[in-house]
Amino acid sequence: MSENARLKFYCDEHRCISCDGCSVACAEAHELPANINRRKVITMNEGIFGLEYSLSIACMHCTDAPCEQVCPTDCFYIREDGIVLHDKDKCIGCAYCLYACPFGAPQFPADGAFGVKGVMDKCTMCAGGPEETNSHKERELYGQNRISEGKVPVCAAMCSTKALLVGDSAEISDIYRERVLSAGHGAKIQPYGWSTAYGSKI
Amino acid sequence: MKSKYIIIALITLSSLAFGASDSAIWGDDLLKDILGYDKKGSLHLGQYFTILQSTYFKPLFFGVLFGIPAIFFIHYMIIGPMIFSHDRKRIYVFSVFNRMIHTIAGIAFILIIPTGLIMMFATTFGGGEFVRVSKEIHAISTLLFIVSIIPMFFMWLRWMIPSSDDIKWMMILGGYLNKRKDPIPAGRFNAGQKMWYWIATLGGFLMIGTGAAMYFQDFRLDILASNGISQIDFLRASAIVHNALGLVVLALFLTHVYMSVFAIKGAIHSIINGYKEEEEVEILHSSYYKELKEKGEV
Repeated sequence: MSENARLKFYCDEHRCISCDGCSVACAEAHELPANINRRKVITMNEGIFGLEYSLSIACMHCTDAPCEQVCPTDCFYIREDGIVLHDKDKCIGCAYCLYACPFGAPQFPADGAFGVKGVMDKCTMCAGGPEETNSHKERELYGQNRISEGKVPVCAAMCSTKALLVGDSAEISDIYRERVLSAGHGAKIQPYGWSTAYGSKI
Repeated sequence: MKSKYIIIALITLSSLAFGASDSAIWGDDLLKDILGYDKKGSLHLGQYFTILQSTYFKPLFFGVLFGIPAIFFIHYMIIGPMIFSHDRKRIYVFSVFNRMIHTIAGIAFILIIPTGLIMMFATTFGGGEFVRVSKEIHAISTLLFIVSIIPMFFMWLRWMIPSSDDIKWMMILGGYLNKRKDPIPAGRFNAGQKMWYWIATLGGFLMIGTGAAMYFQDFRLDILASNGISQIDFLRASAIVHNALGLVVLALFLTHVYMSVFAIKGAIHSIINGYKEEEEVEILHSSYYKELKEKGEV
């Protein structure tokens, strides 16, 4: 991992078979309540021959994380390696992060007052939260902290076709490029990658 | 016969279960919204919301919260309050019903505005339980607001229709820039009060609607879907409208408090006991005073 590495997810659309293994693995590993989907498999251009492909999406850990910009409690923080995390003790469950997110990543369990919505929950790239690493509280609030143990996030580790990649963004793009070159026919579709959530234009 | 009802009940219940599991945000619509991302046809509200919330709303609220009282402080120091004679007769202007409704609305505002500001400046309060409780109070006190603004809208509506007096009132800023006791052109309510009335009632309905949308979050409105507006964009629009209108409500609320408590000495008593000093009505609501005189009520 290089000095200023930023950890990113990338789902290889040529390999994803839409098996949902990643989201099941995520829900199991972090013991997520029902209706909380930190990770989800989506199918683009569904039913259009030759253009249909599937992707696994979760929090994209954006470089310009819009959720971090809009949070009224300032509960988000971006680690040096680019993982976007948040503090559930500060979060008030206002859902502004959800409004800012282009991917609908923030989730709200129905455990707030009157069962409407509680504090936000999202993908942590298996890096826990601000609590003491691998403490009981961290596990209860944010799920496993696999990054601290040098393990790959559970979704990517579990991916049967190795479509879901995670790691230093430069290395991920190298792997993807190599795959496209060795496939012989080039990329059938334009890679969907982006560098920032917003920022191209308004 | 009985089994038929059981089957109908089961079908109804199962449709409820399906309705609940099909989220308006994370369900099938999620894909559409990502597809709309950065492409033609998307409302781009996510980006607008991000820019407004991250850079503009907080400083604007800060400006209104401290700027307007600062202006009033200067006004109080330089021009000072209007003082009317308390020796003349008093005119009965607000009925018991008026005052009761106003009191409920007042309590609602006293609960809603500070809790809203606590959420806006949540970082200052450190977030967490205190702000979470404020958020719930903000939501629950809306019920008080709802029960007060509906009667308020109807009980004062006929005096709140704009008239030619309002333009003249605006031109001289209600006569608050000097201490001379010239008759000010205004009916039972002056242009400033009318402005506050419309913002508090019609604006209030909009605040309730957008606030409820954000509070309940995951629901479906057919009218939105049929117009191609996704739930998430509706929530973004709600947040933008709620904050922008909130600024106006805050500004006018501060003005309302200053006028009744400080700028016009003793004006607050009219909403407590229902009576206004005759001289106050004669000067500040001169058209209304003329009307009363013609009817022989003063």
